[in-house]
Amino acid sequence: MLSFISFGRAAAIVLCDMASTAWYIGGIVETAIGPAAPWFILGVLLCAAPVLMLYVEGSAMFVRGGVYKVVRESMGGSLAKVSVSALMFDYVLTGAISAVSAGQYLAGLANSALPRLHIHWTVDPKGFSVVFALCIVAYFWRQNIKGIEESSDKAIKIMSLVAVMAAVTFSWAAYTIYVRGFRWPPLTLDFTHESLGWLASRENALGRLGLLVAFGHAFLGMSGLETLAQVYREMEAPKLKNLKRAAAAIFVFALFLTGTITFLAVGLIPDDVRKVYADNLLSGLAMSMAGPHWAQLLLQAFVVVVGVLILSGAVNTSIMGSNGVLNRLAEDRIMPDSLRHLHPRFGTTHRMINLIVIMQAVTIVLCRGDVYLLGEAYAFGVIWSFVFNAGAVLVLRFKDRSKREWKFPGNVKLGKHELPLGLAALFLLLLSVGLVNLMTKRHATISGIAFTAFFFVLFMISERLNKREKVQGEHREKFNLRSADDLGIMREEIERPNRVLVAVRDPGNLYHLNKALEAHDSETTDLVVFTSRIRKGLGLVDETVSMDNDEEKLFTKVIEAAERHGKTVTPMLVVSNDPFYAITQAAQAVGATEVVFGVSAKLSTDVQLERLAMTWGSLQTDKQPVRFRILGPGVEHAVDL
Amino acid sequence: MPWFQKKPPEPAGESPKTVPSRAAKGLKVSSILSDDTIIFPAEGSDKPAVLLALAAAVCAKAGIPDCQTFLAKVLEREQGISTTLDTGLSLPHARMDGITAILAGMAILKKPIPDPKQTDLMIRVMFLFFSPNKQEAFPMHLQLLRGVSSVFQPALIDQLTASSGPAAALELIKKLEA
Repeated sequence: MLSFISFGRAAAIVLCDMASTAWYIGGIVETAIGPAAPWFILGVLLCAAPVLMLYVEGSAMFVRGGVYKVVRESMGGSLAKVSVSALMFDYVLTGAISAVSAGQYLAGLANSALPRLHIHWTVDPKGFSVVFALCIVAYFWRQNIKGIEESSDKAIKIMSLVAVMAAVTFSWAAYTIYVRGFRWPPLTLDFTHESLGWLASRENALGRLGLLVAFGHAFLGMSGLETLAQVYREMEAPKLKNLKRAAAAIFVFALFLTGTITFLAVGLIPDDVRKVYADNLLSGLAMSMAGPHWAQLLLQAFVVVVGVLILSGAVNTSIMGSNGVLNRLAEDRIMPDSLRHLHPRFGTTHRMINLIVIMQAVTIVLCRGDVYLLGEAYAFGVIWSFVFNAGAVLVLRFKDRSKREWKFPGNVKLGKHELPLGLAALFLLLLSVGLVNLMTKRHATISGIAFTAFFFVLFMISERLNKREKVQGEHREKFNLRSADDLGIMREEIERPNRVLVAVRDPGNLYHLNKALEAHDSETTDLVVFTSRIRKGLGLVDETVSMDNDEEKLFTKVIEAAERHGKTVTPMLVVSNDPFYAITQAAQAVGATEVVFGVSAKLSTDVQLERLAMTWGSLQTDKQPVRFRILGPGVEHAVDL
Repeated sequence: MPWFQKKPPEPAGESPKTVPSRAAKGLKVSSILSDDTIIFPAEGSDKPAVLLALAAAVCAKAGIPDCQTFLAKVLEREQGISTTLDTGLSLPHARMDGITAILAGMAILKKPIPDPKQTDLMIRVMFLFFSPNKQEAFPMHLQLLRGVSSVFQPALIDQLTASSGPAAALELIKKLEA
């Protein structure tokens, strides 16, 4: 079954990554630019609004979008490979930093709680975080091998818990402010030699460029946002409306959670204590609340448990996001086709998931539990994937003037032309941050360029090898077939009270499927998309159950149509010696109340209906009514029997 | 509300031909047959021969002097997709101008004959009917196709071929539909 997720689930998946930065961004950015960090984090979170809008425009243009698709359409394959390599760097580091940070929080909690329990052990935060991070990655590796539906369930539960934690923490913080008062973070910047990178020797000449440097250091606050483009494919109808809803939910939640927490951390934790909690700032916030020590410890435990969950969720999102990106690349013959091999039981692209998880595990081991190091390197992938995306969407405004479902605002009409000034301004801002980061974030620049170059070369080699092997032609989905001698197996796949069966044969004639999808309500109705393989005589015996080229092409088109509409479908293939018997048996097996056909090139609609009525009657064992519909451009027959 | 009750979507271009009526729902097969229109046992070594005899019986009962037009229309339809089912029932049919009610007849074959379009299918009972060639009558036409196919299952066909004559055969059908 091909199923789709609600905007809430999609937002939860993205937020598991984006909002999880609240647990480590404050410490990293303050280490880099001083106590003014919350102001710049706030600025970055506000900047997430236009970046989300950018992704809405890009995703609305390409259902299977993301930075690779958008950049390839506008700037060509090479730049697309560079952009997606940068994005892969982001995803690999997202998994690593989130998992390590979760370990740091747990180690911090242990070190706070053990003395109270009269256990005088100390947990080494770095060593513990590496081991714990590897466990988290291994857990979500398994979850992703099982499939997205299960992991989106977990994302929504985690985000619900985060909301509860935010409510408790903010309420307690309000009481603390009432008791002790609040100290607003200063606006002065305090760069370290490390945080100025190659600009350290020109610190005094920085001037207003310092603001951009600081902004660049806070940019990891937007990490995870790109996943929105990856989950758009999985989003249910109405797709664009749900995409906007998800974007709005992501913006509000991230701004409220991350923004407020970083201000509270600087405003409520004393300066000297804050340095101790640089790697687990929220634990420091919990321990700085007004109240008895045991209550502080309980809050810390709550914050840590939720933190471990959301940071683990970010690991999950990074695996899902990078799996989505690699899938797009494999569809485009940029990655070896063998990587798209489906897991025999779960139907997931397990080899890609393995590859991503191995890279994350290696990064975790190499960083040796240093969150700051990971954080510094982290922003490279985020900013450059945004720069490429913004540039690409901007170029597409001139290159492809077709009507957009939605446009980034700030467009000025000049006669027949439209100048996308808003988009251009966003691109320039992102480009400036990217260029400044190149100079100031040495770790990010060196490791990011090395990683990007590695992936770029890998993609180039794979593409050439694929061309040499003449893997040509249009994209084909990979399918896992469950075979059975009895059509009753379909009952396991369907659960809604109404069932509609749409018979398809010609990938070029799916008008009726699109019409059925338009009106389809996935909440109440199961839509089974059916085709039959007609074999006569001995051809029916020992029929191997695997799709041939035509069937793969047909079902690829079916999947694309379902994705475009965001409606759940259940594909079905039956081997039979008669198409009408096959349709009838399939429809009766699933309990279809409606059977939809396209207009046939060989048979008139009347003859189709006559033959179907005869077959239906001869096989029907109950008196259930059925509606037959034949749909084509300008043709609609509907008959109730 | 189930999806099939919603208004069908409007396709682009010309207005759709939609026939959502449920006419003929209660139509019984036995009500359109009579002893005169049941041939038992039917003679003939092939489908056209049996069809010719059956059409003649139906026309005679309906008082149609020139049966050629009717026969030609059925034979024309028979050139298309097969009207024979796995059950052993052959269901030739045609929609005719100039009639206002369904005209039907049945032939029961003691010796099965192969369907010319699909020779692995053997015809044991042939049910011929003509329905009015009007759009509003098309659902009834389809309902009858479904109804006849549903009634003539192998068990009934076995009983029909073993029955003593047209009246007994009709009685068997009436009993089944009761």
